[in-house]
Amino acid sequence: MSQTVKMEARNLNFYYGSFRALEDVSLLFLEGQVTSLIGPSGCGKSTFIRCLNRMNDLIPGTRVEGALTLDGENVYDAKLDVVELRRRVGMVFQKPNPFPKSVFENVAYGLRVNGIKDKNYIAERVETSLKSAALWEEVKDRLHQSALGLSGGQQQRLCIARAMAVEPEILLMDEPCSALDPIATQKIEELIFELKATYTIIIVTHSMQQAARVSDMTAFFYMGRLIETDKTETLFTRPRNKQTEDYITGRFG
Amino acid sequence: MERLHLEKELGNLRLKALEMGSLTEKALSQALKSALERDGGLAETVLDGDTEINRLHCAIDESVLSILAREQPVARDLRFILGVGQMAANLERIGDQAVNIAERVILLSQRPALPHNPLMEELALHVQDMLRRCVGSFNSDDADMALQVCDMDSRADTLNMKILKHYVDFMIQESRAVERAVHLIIMARCLERVGDQCTNIAENVIFMIKGVDIRQTCRP
Ligand SMILES: Nc1ncnc2c1ncn2[C@@H]1O[C@H](COP(=O)(O)OP(=O)(O)OP(=O)(O)O)[C@@H](O)[C@H]1O
Ligand SMILES: [Mg+2]
Repeated sequence: MSQTVKMEARNLNFYYGSFRALEDVSLLFLEGQVTSLIGPSGCGKSTFIRCLNRMNDLIPGTRVEGALTLDGENVYDAKLDVVELRRRVGMVFQKPNPFPKSVFENVAYGLRVNGIKDKNYIAERVETSLKSAALWEEVKDRLHQSALGLSGGQQQRLCIARAMAVEPEILLMDEPCSALDPIATQKIEELIFELKATYTIIIVTHSMQQAARVSDMTAFFYMGRLIETDKTETLFTRPRNKQTEDYITGRFG
Repeated sequence: MERLHLEKELGNLRLKALEMGSLTEKALSQALKSALERDGGLAETVLDGDTEINRLHCAIDESVLSILAREQPVARDLRFILGVGQMAANLERIGDQAVNIAERVILLSQRPALPHNPLMEELALHVQDMLRRCVGSFNSDDADMALQVCDMDSRADTLNMKILKHYVDFMIQESRAVERAVHLIIMARCLERVGDQCTNIAENVIFMIKGVDIRQTCRP
Protein backbone atom coordinates (compact mmCIF):
# COMPACT_ATOMS: atom_id res chain seq x y z
CA MET A 1 0.00 0.00 0.00
CA SER A 2 1.24 3.43 -0.92
CA GLN A 3 2.25 5.59 2.00
CA THR A 4 2.18 8.93 0.22
CA VAL A 5 0.41 11.64 2.19
CA LYS A 6 -2.34 12.93 -0.06
CA MET A 7 -3.88 15.48 2.20
CA GLU A 8 -2.96 16.78 5.60
CA ALA A 9 -4.56 19.08 8.17
CA ARG A 10 -2.30 20.59 10.81
CA ASN A 11 -3.80 22.42 13.77
CA LEU A 12 -6.87 23.24 11.78
CA ASN A 13 -9.36 25.55 13.50
CA PHE A 14 -12.67 26.58 12.06
CA TYR A 15 -15.03 29.31 13.20
CA TYR A 16 -18.66 30.03 12.40
CA GLY A 17 -18.59 33.66 13.53
CA SER A 18 -17.24 33.46 17.06
CA PHE A 19 -18.12 29.76 17.47
CA ARG A 20 -15.10 27.53 17.14
CA ALA A 21 -16.39 24.37 15.46
CA LEU A 22 -12.98 22.73 14.99
CA GLU A 23 -10.14 22.87 17.49
CA ASP A 24 -6.60 22.11 16.47
CA VAL A 25 -7.42 19.16 14.27
CA SER A 26 -4.34 17.42 12.87
CA LEU A 27 -5.06 14.50 10.58
CA LEU A 28 -3.49 13.08 7.48
CA PHE A 29 -4.88 11.05 4.64
CA LEU A 30 -2.74 8.57 2.79
CA GLU A 31 -3.15 8.11 -0.93
CA GLY A 32 -5.43 5.25 -1.90
CA GLN A 33 -6.83 4.78 1.56
CA VAL A 34 -10.36 5.05 2.86
CA THR A 35 -10.72 7.05 6.06
CA SER A 36 -13.94 7.13 8.08
CA LEU A 37 -14.83 10.09 10.24
CA ILE A 38 -17.11 9.16 13.10
CA GLY A 39 -18.49 10.95 16.13
CA PRO A 40 -21.73 12.19 17.65
CA SER A 41 -23.95 14.66 15.85
CA GLY A 42 -22.57 18.19 15.90
CA CYS A 43 -18.96 17.18 16.59
CA GLY A 44 -17.73 18.82 13.40
CA LYS A 45 -17.38 16.00 10.87
CA SER A 46 -19.19 17.82 8.09
CA THR A 47 -17.45 21.07 8.94
CA PHE A 48 -14.13 19.27 8.69
CA ILE A 49 -14.69 17.62 5.33
CA ARG A 50 -16.13 20.84 3.94
CA CYS A 51 -12.81 22.49 4.80
CA LEU A 52 -11.01 19.97 2.61
CA ASN A 53 -12.45 21.37 -0.63
CA ARG A 54 -13.23 24.81 0.74
CA MET A 55 -16.99 24.33 0.60
CA ASN A 56 -17.15 26.36 3.81
CA ASP A 57 -15.95 29.43 1.89
CA LEU A 58 -19.52 29.67 0.67
CA ILE A 59 -20.80 30.26 4.23
CA PRO A 60 -20.50 33.91 5.23
CA GLY A 61 -18.82 34.84 8.52
CA THR A 62 -16.61 31.76 8.67
CA ARG A 63 -12.88 31.62 9.20
CA VAL A 64 -10.14 28.99 8.96
CA GLU A 65 -6.85 28.85 10.86
CA GLY A 66 -4.05 26.35 10.58
CA ALA A 67 -2.63 24.46 7.65
CA LEU A 68 -4.27 22.27 5.10
CA THR A 69 -2.28 20.79 2.26
CA LEU A 70 -3.07 18.76 -0.84
CA ASP A 71 0.02 17.03 -2.29
CA GLY A 72 2.01 19.34 -0.04
CA GLU A 73 0.44 22.52 -1.38
CA ASN A 74 -1.54 24.92 0.76
CA VAL A 75 -5.27 24.55 0.02
CA TYR A 76 -6.07 27.96 1.49
CA ASP A 77 -3.49 29.78 -0.60
CA ALA A 78 -5.12 32.95 -1.94
CA LYS A 79 -3.77 32.20 -5.42
CA LEU A 80 -5.29 28.72 -5.53
CA ASP A 81 -7.96 28.06 -8.17
CA VAL A 82 -10.95 26.91 -6.13
CA VAL A 83 -12.77 25.42 -9.13
CA GLU A 84 -9.73 23.27 -9.86
CA LEU A 85 -9.50 22.32 -6.17
CA ARG A 86 -13.09 21.11 -6.20
CA ARG A 87 -12.39 19.14 -9.35
CA ARG A 88 -9.54 17.40 -7.58
CA VAL A 89 -11.48 16.97 -4.35
CA GLY A 90 -14.97 15.83 -5.26
CA MET A 91 -17.88 15.61 -2.86
CA VAL A 92 -20.98 13.49 -2.39
CA PHE A 93 -23.57 14.71 0.06
CA GLN A 94 -25.83 13.01 2.55
CA LYS A 95 -28.99 13.50 0.54
CA PRO A 96 -28.74 12.63 -3.12
CA ASN A 97 -29.01 15.97 -4.87
CA PRO A 98 -29.29 15.39 -8.60
CA PHE A 99 -29.98 18.44 -10.73
CA PRO A 100 -33.40 18.58 -12.40
CA LYS A 101 -31.82 17.51 -15.65
CA SER A 102 -31.34 14.28 -17.53
CA VAL A 103 -29.18 11.46 -16.16
CA PHE A 104 -26.62 12.23 -18.87
CA GLU A 105 -26.50 15.96 -18.17
CA ASN A 106 -26.08 15.37 -14.46
CA VAL A 107 -22.90 13.42 -15.04
CA ALA A 108 -21.70 15.73 -17.81
CA TYR A 109 -22.25 18.81 -15.67
CA GLY A 110 -18.81 19.00 -14.05
CA LEU A 111 -17.09 18.50 -17.39
CA ARG A 112 -19.03 21.36 -18.93
CA VAL A 113 -18.29 23.61 -15.94
CA ASN A 114 -14.64 22.84 -16.48
CA GLY A 115 -14.98 24.06 -20.06
CA ILE A 116 -14.89 20.73 -21.87
CA LYS A 117 -16.76 20.76 -25.18
CA ASP A 118 -15.66 17.60 -27.02
CA LYS A 119 -18.92 15.63 -27.40
CA ASN A 120 -17.27 12.25 -27.84
CA TYR A 121 -15.06 12.77 -24.83
CA ILE A 122 -18.04 13.83 -22.72
CA ALA A 123 -20.09 10.80 -23.79
CA GLU A 124 -17.19 8.53 -22.99
CA ARG A 125 -16.64 10.04 -19.53
CA VAL A 126 -20.35 9.80 -18.75
CA GLU A 127 -20.42 6.12 -19.63
CA THR A 128 -17.21 5.31 -17.73
CA SER A 129 -18.37 7.20 -14.66
CA LEU A 130 -21.77 5.54 -14.63
CA LYS A 131 -20.05 2.18 -14.98
CA SER A 132 -17.68 2.81 -12.12
CA ALA A 133 -20.60 3.97 -9.99
CA ALA A 134 -22.27 0.61 -10.76
CA LEU A 135 -25.24 2.39 -12.29
CA TRP A 136 -24.71 2.01 -16.03
CA GLU A 137 -26.74 -1.17 -16.47
CA GLU A 138 -29.72 0.39 -14.72
CA VAL A 139 -29.76 3.68 -16.64
CA LYS A 140 -28.20 3.02 -20.02
CA ASP A 141 -31.64 2.97 -21.68
CA ARG A 142 -32.88 6.12 -19.96
CA LEU A 143 -29.88 8.43 -20.15
CA HIS A 144 -31.98 11.28 -21.45
CA GLN A 145 -34.80 10.98 -18.97
CA SER A 146 -34.93 13.09 -15.84
CA ALA A 147 -32.61 12.05 -13.02
CA LEU A 148 -35.40 12.84 -10.58
CA GLY A 149 -37.17 9.69 -11.77
CA LEU A 150 -34.44 7.47 -10.31
CA SER A 151 -34.77 5.75 -6.95
CA GLY A 152 -32.92 7.21 -3.95
CA GLY A 153 -30.13 4.65 -4.17
CA GLN A 154 -29.78 5.21 -7.92
CA GLN A 155 -29.74 8.97 -7.37
CA GLN A 156 -26.95 8.61 -4.84
CA ARG A 157 -24.90 6.48 -7.23
CA LEU A 158 -25.63 9.10 -9.90
CA CYS A 159 -24.16 11.74 -7.60
CA ILE A 160 -21.11 9.56 -7.13
CA ALA A 161 -20.83 9.20 -10.92
CA ARG A 162 -21.19 12.97 -11.23
CA ALA A 163 -18.39 13.49 -8.73
CA MET A 164 -16.18 10.98 -10.52
CA ALA A 165 -16.76 12.30 -14.04
CA VAL A 166 -14.19 15.05 -13.57
CA GLU A 167 -11.61 12.50 -12.40
CA PRO A 168 -11.02 13.81 -8.90
CA GLU A 169 -8.15 12.52 -6.79
CA ILE A 170 -10.06 12.61 -3.53
CA LEU A 171 -13.68 11.77 -2.92
CA LEU A 172 -15.40 13.23 0.13
CA MET A 173 -18.62 11.50 1.15
CA ASP A 174 -20.80 12.94 3.86
CA GLU A 175 -23.08 10.15 5.12
CA PRO A 176 -23.64 8.86 1.59
CA CYS A 177 -25.83 5.96 2.67
CA SER A 178 -28.00 7.53 5.31
CA ALA A 179 -31.03 7.60 3.02
CA LEU A 180 -30.44 4.21 1.46
CA ASP A 181 -31.76 0.71 1.98
CA PRO A 182 -29.34 -2.15 2.79
CA ILE A 183 -28.99 -3.25 -0.83
CA ALA A 184 -28.21 0.25 -2.11
CA THR A 185 -25.90 0.71 0.88
CA GLN A 186 -24.09 -2.47 0.00
CA LYS A 187 -23.68 -1.33 -3.61
CA ILE A 188 -22.13 1.94 -2.43
CA GLU A 189 -19.82 0.08 -0.06
CA GLU A 190 -18.72 -2.29 -2.81
CA LEU A 191 -18.13 0.75 -4.94
CA ILE A 192 -15.91 2.25 -2.26
CA PHE A 193 -13.82 -0.94 -2.24
CA GLU A 194 -13.36 -0.65 -6.00
CA LEU A 195 -12.77 3.08 -6.07
CA LYS A 196 -10.05 3.05 -3.49
CA ALA A 197 -7.62 1.68 -6.03
CA THR A 198 -7.89 5.01 -7.83
CA TYR A 199 -9.08 7.52 -5.26
CA THR A 200 -8.39 8.62 -1.75
CA ILE A 201 -11.73 8.45 0.02
CA ILE A 202 -12.92 10.24 3.13
CA ILE A 203 -16.31 9.21 4.38
CA VAL A 204 -18.44 10.55 7.21
CA THR A 205 -20.72 7.89 8.63
CA HIS A 206 -22.97 7.35 11.61
CA SER A 207 -22.81 3.60 11.16
CA MET A 208 -20.01 2.03 13.17
CA GLN A 209 -20.44 -1.13 11.14
CA GLN A 210 -20.01 0.80 7.93
CA ALA A 211 -16.88 2.50 9.19
CA ALA A 212 -15.54 -0.87 10.32
CA ARG A 213 -16.34 -2.49 6.98
CA VAL A 214 -15.14 0.05 4.46
CA SER A 215 -12.30 2.05 5.91
CA ASP A 216 -8.58 1.52 6.38
CA MET A 217 -8.33 4.33 8.93
CA THR A 218 -10.94 5.68 11.32
CA ALA A 219 -10.93 9.04 13.07
CA PHE A 220 -13.15 9.81 16.05
CA PHE A 221 -14.26 13.41 16.58
CA TYR A 222 -15.89 14.84 19.68
CA MET A 223 -16.89 18.45 20.30
CA GLY A 224 -14.77 19.83 17.49
CA ARG A 225 -11.67 17.87 18.45
CA LEU A 226 -10.02 14.85 16.93
CA ILE A 227 -9.92 12.43 19.85
CA GLU A 228 -8.34 9.38 18.31
CA THR A 229 -7.31 8.07 14.94
CA ASP A 230 -5.93 4.67 14.14
CA LYS A 231 -6.12 1.75 11.79
CA THR A 232 -9.78 0.78 11.65
CA GLU A 233 -8.99 -2.72 12.86
CA THR A 234 -7.18 -1.36 15.91
CA LEU A 235 -9.72 1.33 16.71
CA PHE A 236 -12.54 -1.19 16.71
CA THR A 237 -10.74 -3.85 18.72
CA ARG A 238 -8.61 -1.88 21.17
CA PRO A 239 -9.19 1.85 21.11
CA ARG A 240 -6.75 3.74 23.31
CA ASN A 241 -9.13 6.43 24.43
CA LYS A 242 -12.02 5.86 26.82
CA GLN A 243 -14.29 8.33 24.99
CA THR A 244 -13.70 6.49 21.74
CA GLU A 245 -14.48 3.18 23.38
CA ASP A 246 -17.65 4.52 25.00
CA TYR A 247 -18.79 5.95 21.68
CA ILE A 248 -18.17 2.92 19.49
CA THR A 249 -19.62 0.49 22.03
CA GLY A 250 -22.74 2.66 22.28
CA ARG A 251 -22.26 3.75 25.88
CA PHE A 252 -21.99 7.44 25.22
CA GLY A 253 -23.97 9.48 27.61
CA MET B 1 -27.35 6.50 25.86
CA GLU B 2 -26.75 3.09 27.39
CA ARG B 3 -26.97 -0.18 25.58
CA LEU B 4 -29.03 -1.77 28.29
CA HIS B 5 -29.92 -4.79 26.23
CA LEU B 6 -26.32 -5.53 25.34
CA GLU B 7 -25.22 -4.92 28.94
CA LYS B 8 -27.76 -7.48 30.07
CA GLU B 9 -26.64 -10.05 27.52
CA LEU B 10 -23.01 -9.54 28.52
CA GLY B 11 -23.94 -9.81 32.19
CA ASN B 12 -25.69 -13.11 31.54
CA LEU B 13 -22.72 -14.38 29.62
CA ARG B 14 -20.41 -13.43 32.48
CA LEU B 15 -22.63 -15.30 34.93
CA LYS B 16 -22.67 -18.43 32.80
CA ALA B 17 -18.89 -18.33 32.49
CA LEU B 18 -18.48 -17.92 36.25
CA GLU B 19 -20.90 -20.76 36.90
CA MET B 20 -18.95 -22.94 34.51
CA GLY B 21 -15.74 -21.87 36.25
CA SER B 22 -17.02 -22.85 39.67
CA LEU B 23 -18.38 -26.19 38.44
CA THR B 24 -15.03 -26.94 36.85
CA GLU B 25 -13.16 -26.03 40.03
CA LYS B 26 -15.50 -28.31 41.92
CA ALA B 27 -14.99 -31.17 39.45
CA LEU B 28 -11.23 -30.88 39.69
CA SER B 29 -11.17 -30.69 43.47
CA GLN B 30 -13.53 -33.65 43.80
CA ALA B 31 -11.42 -35.69 41.37
CA LEU B 32 -8.29 -34.91 43.35
CA LYS B 33 -9.93 -35.58 46.69
CA SER B 34 -11.21 -38.91 45.38
CA ALA B 35 -7.66 -39.75 44.29
CA LEU B 36 -6.19 -38.87 47.65
CA GLU B 37 -8.84 -40.77 49.56
CA ARG B 38 -9.19 -43.61 47.04
CA ASP B 39 -12.90 -42.88 46.98
CA GLY B 40 -14.50 -44.49 43.91
CA GLY B 41 -17.94 -43.18 44.86
CA LEU B 42 -16.75 -39.57 44.87
CA ALA B 43 -15.02 -40.18 41.53
CA GLU B 44 -18.41 -41.27 40.11
CA THR B 45 -19.90 -37.87 41.03
CA VAL B 46 -17.25 -36.20 38.89
CA LEU B 47 -18.35 -38.27 35.89
CA ASP B 48 -21.97 -37.32 36.51
CA GLY B 49 -21.17 -33.64 37.02
CA ASP B 50 -19.48 -33.35 33.63
CA THR B 51 -22.83 -33.27 31.81
CA GLU B 52 -23.67 -29.93 33.37
CA ILE B 53 -20.29 -28.47 32.42
CA ASN B 54 -20.79 -29.60 28.84
CA ARG B 55 -24.30 -28.15 28.81
CA LEU B 56 -23.02 -24.77 29.98
CA HIS B 57 -20.30 -24.84 27.36
CA CYS B 58 -22.94 -25.29 24.65
CA ALA B 59 -25.12 -22.57 26.17
CA ILE B 60 -22.19 -20.14 26.21
CA ASP B 61 -21.30 -20.92 22.60
CA GLU B 62 -24.88 -20.29 21.61
CA SER B 63 -24.99 -16.92 23.40
CA VAL B 64 -21.65 -15.90 21.90
CA LEU B 65 -22.91 -16.64 18.40
CA SER B 66 -26.17 -14.87 18.97
CA ILE B 67 -24.64 -11.73 20.47
CA LEU B 68 -22.10 -11.54 17.66
CA ALA B 69 -24.81 -11.85 15.06
CA ARG B 70 -27.30 -9.49 16.63
CA GLU B 71 -25.28 -6.83 18.41
CA GLN B 72 -22.15 -6.61 16.25
CA PRO B 73 -20.08 -5.70 19.29
CA VAL B 74 -16.75 -3.89 19.06
CA ALA B 75 -13.79 -2.99 21.28
CA ARG B 76 -13.94 -4.32 24.86
CA ASP B 77 -17.35 -5.91 24.23
CA LEU B 78 -15.97 -7.82 21.27
CA ARG B 79 -12.89 -8.90 23.20
CA PHE B 80 -15.00 -9.95 26.14
CA ILE B 81 -17.32 -12.07 24.03
CA LEU B 82 -14.54 -13.80 22.12
CA GLY B 83 -12.62 -14.27 25.36
CA VAL B 84 -15.57 -15.89 27.12
CA GLY B 85 -16.03 -18.26 24.19
CA GLN B 86 -12.42 -19.39 24.43
CA MET B 87 -12.51 -19.54 28.19
CA ALA B 88 -15.56 -21.83 28.05
CA ALA B 89 -13.77 -24.14 25.62
CA ASN B 90 -10.79 -24.36 27.98
CA LEU B 91 -12.96 -24.91 31.05
CA GLU B 92 -14.74 -27.69 29.23
CA ARG B 93 -11.40 -29.39 28.59
CA ILE B 94 -10.41 -28.96 32.21
CA GLY B 95 -13.68 -30.70 33.08
CA ASP B 96 -12.63 -33.53 30.76
CA GLN B 97 -9.29 -33.80 32.54
CA ALA B 98 -11.14 -34.09 35.87
CA VAL B 99 -13.15 -36.92 34.32
CA ASN B 100 -9.97 -38.62 33.09
CA ILE B 101 -8.53 -38.45 36.57
CA ALA B 102 -11.75 -39.73 38.15
CA GLU B 103 -11.86 -42.70 35.77
CA ARG B 104 -8.38 -43.69 36.88
CA VAL B 105 -9.35 -43.30 40.53
CA ILE B 106 -12.19 -45.76 39.95
CA LEU B 107 -9.73 -48.30 38.54
CA LEU B 108 -7.01 -47.67 41.12
CA SER B 109 -9.33 -47.73 44.12
CA GLN B 110 -9.99 -51.43 43.41
CA ARG B 111 -6.29 -52.24 43.53
CA PRO B 112 -3.77 -52.08 46.38
CA ALA B 113 -2.48 -48.54 46.95
CA LEU B 114 0.99 -47.52 45.79
CA PRO B 115 3.17 -45.52 48.20
CA HIS B 116 2.11 -41.92 48.74
CA ASN B 117 3.84 -39.49 46.38
CA PRO B 118 4.22 -35.93 47.72
CA LEU B 119 5.13 -34.62 44.25
CA MET B 120 1.71 -35.69 43.01
CA GLU B 121 0.04 -33.86 45.83
CA GLU B 122 2.08 -30.75 45.16
CA LEU B 123 1.15 -30.81 41.47
CA ALA B 124 -2.52 -31.27 42.36
CA LEU B 125 -2.50 -28.30 44.72
CA HIS B 126 -0.53 -26.21 42.25
CA VAL B 127 -2.92 -26.60 39.31
CA GLN B 128 -5.94 -26.17 41.57
CA ASP B 129 -4.43 -22.90 42.63
CA MET B 130 -3.89 -21.94 38.96
CA LEU B 131 -7.52 -22.69 38.16
CA ARG B 132 -8.80 -20.71 41.14
CA ARG B 133 -6.66 -17.75 40.18
CA CYS B 134 -7.51 -17.70 36.48
CA VAL B 135 -11.24 -17.84 37.19
CA GLY B 136 -10.70 -15.20 39.90
CA SER B 137 -8.78 -12.92 37.52
CA PHE B 138 -11.71 -13.14 35.10
CA ASN B 139 -14.19 -12.40 37.86
CA SER B 140 -12.36 -9.34 39.09
CA ASP B 141 -10.89 -8.09 35.78
CA ASP B 142 -7.44 -8.49 37.27
CA ALA B 143 -4.76 -8.70 34.58
CA ASP B 144 -1.96 -8.92 37.16
CA MET B 145 -3.49 -11.99 38.75
CA ALA B 146 -3.84 -13.53 35.28
CA LEU B 147 -0.19 -12.88 34.59
CA GLN B 148 0.73 -14.73 37.79
CA VAL B 149 -1.11 -17.77 36.47
CA CYS B 150 0.98 -17.71 33.28
CA ASP B 151 4.11 -17.63 35.42
CA MET B 152 2.94 -20.66 37.41
CA ASP B 153 2.79 -22.95 34.40
CA SER B 154 6.47 -23.89 34.28
CA ARG B 155 6.29 -25.29 37.83
CA ALA B 156 3.49 -27.61 36.72
CA ASP B 157 5.63 -28.81 33.80
CA THR B 158 8.60 -29.45 36.07
CA LEU B 159 6.54 -31.39 38.58
CA ASN B 160 5.02 -33.49 35.83
CA MET B 161 8.48 -34.41 34.51
CA LYS B 162 9.67 -35.30 38.01
CA ILE B 163 6.66 -37.52 38.57
CA LEU B 164 7.24 -39.24 35.25
CA LYS B 165 10.83 -39.95 36.15
CA HIS B 166 9.82 -41.13 39.61
CA TYR B 167 7.36 -43.71 38.26
CA VAL B 168 9.68 -44.84 35.47
CA ASP B 169 12.29 -45.65 38.12
CA PHE B 170 9.59 -47.22 40.26
CA MET B 171 8.40 -49.52 37.46
CA ILE B 172 11.92 -50.81 36.94
CA GLN B 173 11.89 -52.01 40.56
CA GLU B 174 8.26 -53.09 40.84
CA SER B 175 7.16 -54.85 37.70
CA ARG B 176 3.86 -55.91 39.31
CA ALA B 177 2.88 -52.25 39.76
CA VAL B 178 3.43 -51.21 36.15
CA GLU B 179 -0.24 -50.79 35.28
CA ARG B 180 -1.00 -48.71 38.38
CA ALA B 181 2.12 -46.61 37.85
CA VAL B 182 1.10 -45.91 34.24
CA HIS B 183 -2.26 -44.67 35.47
CA LEU B 184 -0.50 -42.34 37.88
CA ILE B 185 1.75 -41.04 35.10
CA ILE B 186 -1.36 -40.32 33.04
CA MET B 187 -2.97 -38.55 36.00
CA ALA B 188 0.05 -36.31 36.36
CA ARG B 189 -0.08 -35.62 32.66
CA CYS B 190 -3.79 -34.65 33.00
CA LEU B 191 -2.88 -32.20 35.74
CA GLU B 192 -0.11 -30.71 33.64
CA ARG B 193 -2.64 -30.21 30.83
CA VAL B 194 -4.96 -28.44 33.28
CA GLY B 195 -2.07 -26.07 33.95
CA ASP B 196 -1.77 -25.37 30.20
CA GLN B 197 -5.49 -24.76 29.91
CA CYS B 198 -5.43 -22.40 32.89
CA THR B 199 -2.61 -20.54 31.17
CA ASN B 200 -4.76 -20.24 28.03
CA ILE B 201 -7.58 -18.82 30.11
CA ALA B 202 -5.25 -16.37 31.85
CA GLU B 203 -3.92 -15.20 28.46
CA ASN B 204 -7.52 -14.73 27.37
CA VAL B 205 -8.30 -12.67 30.44
CA ILE B 206 -5.35 -10.40 29.70
CA PHE B 207 -6.58 -10.03 26.12
CA MET B 208 -10.08 -9.20 27.31
CA ILE B 209 -8.84 -6.53 29.69
CA LYS B 210 -5.96 -5.01 27.79
CA GLY B 211 -6.48 -6.00 24.17
CA VAL B 212 -2.96 -7.38 23.87
CA ASP B 213 -2.11 -10.91 22.89
CA ILE B 214 0.66 -12.17 25.14
CA ARG B 215 0.83 -15.68 23.71
CA GLN B 216 4.40 -16.59 22.75
CA THR B 217 3.10 -18.34 19.65
CA CYS B 218 1.39 -15.16 18.45
CA ARG B 219 4.46 -12.95 18.67
CA PRO B 220 5.99 -12.08 15.30
N1 LIG C 1 -23.64 27.10 8.98
C1 LIG C 1 -23.41 27.03 10.29
N2 LIG C 1 -23.48 28.12 11.07
C2 LIG C 1 -23.24 28.06 12.38
N3 LIG C 1 -22.91 26.93 13.05
C3 LIG C 1 -22.83 25.81 12.32
C4 LIG C 1 -23.08 25.78 10.91
N4 LIG C 1 -22.92 24.53 10.47
C5 LIG C 1 -22.60 23.77 11.55
N5 LIG C 1 -22.55 24.55 12.67
C6 LIG C 1 -22.21 24.11 14.03
O1 LIG C 1 -20.92 23.52 14.03
C7 LIG C 1 -20.89 22.34 14.81
C8 LIG C 1 -20.44 21.17 13.97
O2 LIG C 1 -21.43 20.92 12.98
P1 LIG C 1 -21.26 19.83 11.85
O3 LIG C 1 -22.37 19.98 10.88
O4 LIG C 1 -19.89 19.90 11.32
O5 LIG C 1 -21.42 18.50 12.71
P2 LIG C 1 -21.49 16.97 12.25
O6 LIG C 1 -20.46 16.25 13.03
O7 LIG C 1 -21.42 16.88 10.77
O8 LIG C 1 -22.93 16.54 12.77
P3 LIG C 1 -24.01 15.53 12.10
O9 LIG C 1 -23.51 14.17 12.41
O10 LIG C 1 -25.25 15.84 12.82
O11 LIG C 1 -24.06 15.80 10.63
C9 LIG C 1 -22.29 22.19 15.40
O12 LIG C 1 -22.29 22.73 16.69
C10 LIG C 1 -23.14 23.01 14.47
O13 LIG C 1 -24.25 23.53 15.14
MG1 LIG D 1 -22.79 16.27 9.26
